[in-house]
Order: sequence, then structure tokens, then C-alpha cells
Amino acid sequence: MSHPDKLQPTDAAMDRRHFLKVSGTTSAGMSLGFFLPEKGQAAEAAGVTPQLNVWVEIEANNTIVIRYARAEMGQGSLTSAPMIIAEELEADWKTVRVEYATAHENLRTKRAYGDMASVGSRTIRNSQEYLRKAGATCRDMLVTAAAQKWNVPASECKASLSKVTHAASKRSLTYGQLAADAAKLEAPKTVQLKDPKDWTLIGKPIPRVDIPDIVVGARQYGIDTQLPGMLHAAVAACPVFNGKVKTMDASKVENRRGIVKVLNMGDFVAVVADNWWRAKEALREVSVDWDVGEHGTLSSAAIMAHFKAGMEQPELAVARNDGNTSEALAKAAKVVEADYFTPYLAHATMEPMVCTAWLQGDKLDVWSSSQNPEATLSVSAANAGVPQANVKVHPVQLGGGLGRKSPQDFTKQAVLIAKAMAGKPVKMLWTREEEIQHGLYRPASLMRFKAGLNASGKVEALHIRVSAPSILATLLKLPLPKGIDGQAVASFNDHPYDIPNTLVDYAQRNTNVPVGFWRSVGHSQNPFGRECFIDELALAAGKDPVAFRLDMLPNDEKSKRDRGILQAVTKAAGWGSTLPAGVFRGVAETEGYGSWTACVCEVSVNAKNEVKIHRVVIGIDPGYAVNPDNIVAQFQGSVVHGLTAIFWGENTIKEGRVEQSNFHDYRMMRLNEMPKVEVVIAPSGGFWGGVGEPAQAPLAPALVNAISAAMGKRIRSLPLKNHGLTLKA
Amino acid sequence: MNQLGRARRKGLQGLLLAALPWGWLAWSSAQAQRMNSGQLLSLEDMLQPVVKCAPILQKDVTLLAPILADNGTLVPVQVQVQSPMTAQDHVTHIYLLSQRNPVTQVAVFGLGPWNAKADISTRIRLAGTQDLVALARLSNGEFRYQKMEIIVTESACVDAS
Amino acid sequence: MSLARVQWPDKMAAGDVVKIRVLIQHPMDTGYLQDFTGKLVPRNVIRMLTCTLGGQEVFRVEPSSGISANPFFEFYVRATATAEFKMNWVDDKGVRGELAQLFKV
Repeated sequence: MSHPDKLQPTDAAMDRRHFLKVSGTTSAGMSLGFFLPEKGQAAEAAGVTPQLNVWVEIEANNTIVIRYARAEMGQGSLTSAPMIIAEELEADWKTVRVEYATAHENLRTKRAYGDMASVGSRTIRNSQEYLRKAGATCRDMLVTAAAQKWNVPASECKASLSKVTHAASKRSLTYGQLAADAAKLEAPKTVQLKDPKDWTLIGKPIPRVDIPDIVVGARQYGIDTQLPGMLHAAVAACPVFNGKVKTMDASKVENRRGIVKVLNMGDFVAVVADNWWRAKEALREVSVDWDVGEHGTLSSAAIMAHFKAGMEQPELAVARNDGNTSEALAKAAKVVEADYFTPYLAHATMEPMVCTAWLQGDKLDVWSSSQNPEATLSVSAANAGVPQANVKVHPVQLGGGLGRKSPQDFTKQAVLIAKAMAGKPVKMLWTREEEIQHGLYRPASLMRFKAGLNASGKVEALHIRVSAPSILATLLKLPLPKGIDGQAVASFNDHPYDIPNTLVDYAQRNTNVPVGFWRSVGHSQNPFGRECFIDELALAAGKDPVAFRLDMLPNDEKSKRDRGILQAVTKAAGWGSTLPAGVFRGVAETEGYGSWTACVCEVSVNAKNEVKIHRVVIGIDPGYAVNPDNIVAQFQGSVVHGLTAIFWGENTIKEGRVEQSNFHDYRMMRLNEMPKVEVVIAPSGGFWGGVGEPAQAPLAPALVNAISAAMGKRIRSLPLKNHGLTLKA
Repeated sequence: MNQLGRARRKGLQGLLLAALPWGWLAWSSAQAQRMNSGQLLSLEDMLQPVVKCAPILQKDVTLLAPILADNGTLVPVQVQVQSPMTAQDHVTHIYLLSQRNPVTQVAVFGLGPWNAKADISTRIRLAGTQDLVALARLSNGEFRYQKMEIIVTESACVDAS
Repeated sequence: MSLARVQWPDKMAAGDVVKIRVLIQHPMDTGYLQDFTGKLVPRNVIRMLTCTLGGQEVFRVEPSSGISANPFFEFYVRATATAEFKMNWVDDKGVRGELAQLFKV
């Protein structure tokens, strides 16, 4: 099947001859009306007709251009989001071409595209409603245009596959032929959305629109940006976090061939050269005396002591308090206690931090591999000292985001360098070492679990205490109501089990290690602790882990989905059937990002402590599955990312700095180590859940539960290499 | 304009009844981006403690702030109120009110005829995307206000589930 | 005592409406952030700031924790006659600050 859906890496020209223009007044147009209706009305009240940017443009040759307003970093929503519009639009996917919407256009139109951040697994679930409405609105206008042309009732006309047909008179016109007339019409105030059972595109495994370009190496990632006369910058920030430059001596390299400038930017140093290799090599010979303040002695041991002290803190923030946990624990027939620990993790996106900036006078152009183009725009304007209206953020594909590329620290650096090199475009690229040692790490976390069971093995009380840094308080500087960082206690304070006495408390323990959002954030570590501890309780109660969980899930509407996915995955895994000798199973069930997930792993561990993963069966109930093929890809990718972290992932601190620097000591999984992954997609309908991050949550506990069963002893910390375990290819 | 005329007679109550749907819609669209940093106040909740039963109109106040704030710790804000600033007719106070900060009343400015212009600027902290309201108290006891939504782009990271 | 700065136009004539900018060095601790040990850094913000010209108040602000660190304010005043400009402030801890400068018209 041919796909005329080549994506243009640059923003599309606005001067298309035929496009659906909405003269929207009362309905505030098809874009504004759906996600910021109040804004649209306010604009009208002020007597201004908003200049609208639209999601759909139709060319005379029947090519349908659909816009995508977020970032694409391999998660595939570049395809899924336009599919949603195309569904309601009744577009023939073969005629669709996807193009980016830009942050500057969003700003100019007062946010006609809404939120542009690709974070929190929420592109699809947060935008699906207004995308569907946008598609339906265009469809209705096309039908009306045809009906008017044929002088027949619109109800007798049907839109399908980029054509409107009037069956009775056997007439039809393509969207391309109708676009000009449709553009003159007023947008309908209300639209009818399709019932999910009538979907013909959503739910189909449509190949992603960027695959052909990726395969032939034509895809433009941020790192591929090339501009005439472009300079290259290599940067180094203080190896001890938050350190500043005391003195810098660039005399050795300043006059070297190709070196244009060496910049002391206060909290980082930059070498600007005519090619990146020269810049990077020269940077190594710039001697910098850093002022590390009091942070030069920080170590992983000190951090652990800090977390442990948090556990004993008299005053803690309470996230959940049902019943009387201390009393119930005191009365319990059996008490089970365990401490769990997860380490700091750098993201290690394959494409390191990269941003190209070009300041010409008071106009700024930025090509940033960023998950949040609006943040890129605002940070760029602020740091270049130019009005936001003068900034163009050019969309690029990201070579991995994983949550690292949402904060704009690297954009800020590039813009400051471009400002210093005024008039010349500069591409700033981090080395792998810089990326691993200047991360915004997944916080390390110490979790303490204590549960009380009654004589028949029912869990009567559960106390979970977390001692860990707060991303919201340190990175975003958000005030925390009641001192609770929701990310730090995610999956604890909202656990689904029916345990009458539950206490969840939190000791905020920040360190000088900067923390940030690592794919699935708190769900990358808390479900590991929770679901492994639940297994420990199942063991203590002498019950099968799956039956134990099903018994503990309440019989209510919400738990229906926990049960559903747990049963779907355990069924696919054949839970309960006999396994060959030496092979053991582990299970976990979690929820997050609006979806429900579960996982079963089958492993064997040999005498050399090599773990062979025989099967990974991992499933999701995302409500609706827009593109099942993409979900499978996301889950397979999540397994790679997850297993890498589970087996080898940790960043340790010594003398205030991260010890790891590259893939030799921050090991990635290898191709031949990849186990067979079976993905179960069990959409139960009625809600829209995320897909990008949920897979991380059940994988670690399911795997560790299986390994613990195989070894006959509990594993309570990651990575597994610290327990002498390796992954067998 | 009929709406406002009625509101003038009914006072605060009437205007807020007209304003409430907008407030609710803003609330619900922000709910999709629900954040841990607190509940979003309705416009009424923000204004009532200060305005009480005095007449209030959404006019004469210009609130200048970036639609996109790169971070929530330093957002430049300017408030201009149309007023002759004479002894008989001037702005006495300007309030900056936040929809979701832990402290709603960000600052209160005291002005008088000596200022000649009711025009103040400052830099504020915003705990996430929210509405900001500039409320002016006039020497005759009436109030004027304007509001705008400010998107704090950095805190778009926070998980919405 | 915190450092403070005030700025107005170099040349002012009587009757001119001039812009005055003030900047005070102060952390404006919100009381919501914690130090490395997890202890809350107590709230300490400038809670009152007044400016006078020749003893007459020309500007007053009651900030909260919602005003950014190193508070910055801009306001206008009609220049009448040369007078002493004085800015006074006090924070939650009771620490007072003062800046005096000749406002030459």
C-alpha cells in the first residue's frame, strides 16, 4: 500500500490554495471551540475574531494534510493522533499527509492547538476529544458543501474515504473538489461523533507514517539539523551538580584551527568550533577550576544514610490514612516487613541533548529536540531576551525523549551560546558523558513496607513509608499541598487493594543530585516495591500470588479493570499450568496514566546466577486502542528500556559526581539478550488511557517475583547486577 | 452588554452567575491537566473575599503577562488601570490574585493620586498553569478587574492521571 | 541587611510622570520548600514595603510568598519637587530594611 504521507520536517507554508477556513464567530471555530471555549468567547467579547489555525487542509489533488501538534520521539502518536482526526473526517488514509503544527503558530493563534507537550502518556487521551471533533466538523462542512452543490438534503449524502456521495443520484465529489466551497461555510455548532463500534481506522494496525524515512535514514532528527554557516558547540557543566566556574583557562585551544570561541557561561563552559569533533576535543583541554561549594563530598553512602534518617523522621507527610494502621499492626497475627530500594537512573536517550539556535537581530530560530515545543519557545525567548512573538520553534523528531527532553536546560544553553555568537547558527550537542553525568535522574527511593495479616492470611493493615527526593519541589519548585509529592507515592496512596487499615507517608529527602521525570516516573519504582511485597504477603499467607491479588481486589466498578487485565494476562501466560523443572513464574498488576497493566514473566536461574527469561507476557487495558501495532511496539520498547534498568541501571555518586559516564559502565541491553515478548491488548472501552509509560510498572515486579521464586530468596533492590545476577542471552 | 447592565444592578451576584460557566470550563479544561499543586479556585472564590458585595466590572484593567511562562518562579506581570488618578477619582489598591497558588492574594499595591498613573509591574511565582486576576479598587469603593490564563510550560510535565 | 536599588530617570522636571523601579535582594522563602534534610525552610518574605517622597507615601505593597525572590516593583509618580526618596521594608522575621536617595527634580 503506498503512503503519500511524507512528513515535511519544516513547518508547512501557510499559503495553501485550498484549505478549510472556518469563519467561526459564534462557535469560536472548530479549534478553539473544543478545548478552550472560554478563551474563544472572551476573544469575541473583546471584538476580535481569532485568527484560526486549523487541523485539516485539503489540497485540490485530494491530498489531506492533517496536523500533529505534539512531539514525536518514537512513541508513535505522530501517526495515532492524525488517525483520530482522519477517522471522524472519513478520510482515506492513503491520501493523508501528516505535518507538524508549530509552537509559534500556536502562540499566534492564542493556543488553537492547545497543549503541545508530549509527556505523561497523555497525547492521545487528552487530545482525542477535540481531535475527533475537529475531524467531524470538517466532515460535516464537506457534506454540506456537496449537498448544496447538488441541491439535495445533507442527510442523503454520505462521506467516506475522502469522497462525498449522493447514492440516489449516483453523484460523488472528492474532498479536493469540495474543499474551496466547504471553506466558505460556517462551522457547525455541534457535531456527531462516531460510536466506537463504527470505527474503521481507529483500532487498525496502521504503519507509522515515519517508518519509510527512518528505514532509509532520511528522517530528520534534532541532531541532523544542518544550516549554512552553522557552528558547533560542545559544552561541559560542573561535574559536581550546581557548581560554578571559578576560573577558566582556554589558552591551549583558543587559537587552534577551527576553534571560534571559548565561552565561560558561569555554570557551564562552551567551545564553539567549525565542527563538533574539534569543539569536543578542544573542550577536553580547557582547564576549568570549578567552585563546587559544599557538594564535593556527596556519596551514594551518604545519600542512603540521608534516606534512612528520613525513615526515622518524627514528622512525615501523610498521603493516605485509612482506619488505624498502628493498632491493626499491633493486633496482627503475622507481621511482614521489608525495605526496598531503587537507584538514581539517567535517561540515556540515544540522541543526547541537542539544540540548534540562530539569533539574528531580535529574531530567533530554534531547532530543539524537545518534548515540549511551547516550553522551548518560552525558555528561548526569555534567554535570548527577545519577544516570544519573534521566536520560531522548528519541529524536529527526537531520538528518544523518555522524559529528559521536557525540561529545557539544554535549550537554554544553546540559546545563550547563540546569543554570544550573534548572527551565526550554532548547534549545541552534548557528549554521552555529559548526558549521563548531567541528567535529571529518576530519583533514588527507599521504601519501607509493613503489613499485618490475620490468622487466615487476610491483609488487615499496610503501612508504606517512602523516603525519597521530590521532583515537583526541586525541579518544578511547586509547593506541595500537605507536603506530598504525588509522584513519590504513586501506586501506594492509590493502591487498588481492599486493605481496611492503610497508612502511606512520605519523608521528602532531597540531595544535590538533580531529579526529573524518567519514563513512568514514580511508576518506574513504586510498583516494583508494592507488587513484590504483595508477593511476599502471598507467600506468608500460603496463597497463590494471582488468587491472593484477586481476593484482595474489591468488588467494585474500578477494580473491574484491575481484575480484567490480570486475568487476561495470566490467561495468556497460562498461569497455573505446569512449567518445566527450574522454570518459575512471577506476576504483577498495576495501574497508572489512566491505564491498567499486568505482567507475567517466566524465568530460570542457573548455578552461575544467569537469568534466562523464557517469556514476558505483558498486557494493557488502555480503554481504547488506537493503533494496536504501535502499542505492541511501545510495549516491546518498554521491555528493552525496563530490562536494561532492572539488570544494570544505576547511577552512583562519589565525591559529588556521577561515577558512570558511557555505555561501558551504564550498560544497555544487547540484541541477543532480548526475550520473547507477548503483548496482550485488552481494551475494555469507555475510557482513554495512556500507553507510552504504563508498561514499565508491572515488568520489574513480575520479573523479580519470578527470580525470587527461582532463587528461593527475595530480591528487594535494583539493579539485579548488585545481586550477582546477569541476563543470559 | 445587556448582561453587564443587569449585573450592574444585581451587583456581584449577577455578574458572577454570568461568569461562572466560563470559570467552570476553564476549570474542567485544566482538570485534564490536573496537578498536585492544589485545587483551582473559581473566579468567585478569588474575588469574593476582597470585593464582598461591592460593584465590580470586568473593564478598565489591562493585565499584561506572557501567555507562556517558561517557569513558574519568575513571571513578569504588569497591571494598568484606566483612571484619571485625581483626588476625587483614583485607584486605591491593585490586587494580584492567583487561581491555584497556596496563597491566593499574591500582592496588594497601595496607590493614590500622587502616582498619576495606575500602572504597576512586578514578578510573581505561579504554581502551575492557572488564571491570574488583576483586581483594582477605586476611590468610590467600586472594583474593576481583568483575568488571563498563564500557561506555565515547565510544569506541563506533571502526570495528569 | 539586604541590598536594594532604586532607579528613576536622570533628568526630571516638575510635573513629569516618571517611572520608578525598585529591586530588593531577598530570598522570599515560601515556606513550602525543604532543605536537603527534608526540613521545611520556614516562610520568610517581605510582607510590607513602602516608598515615600519627602515623607509622603507614594507607593505601598504587601507581598506574599507569591512574589518572586529578589522582589522587583515598578510604579509611577508625579515629580513635584526635589525631596528625599525613602524605601522601607520589613520581612516575616522582623528584619527591617531601608534605602534613602535624593529625588532631584
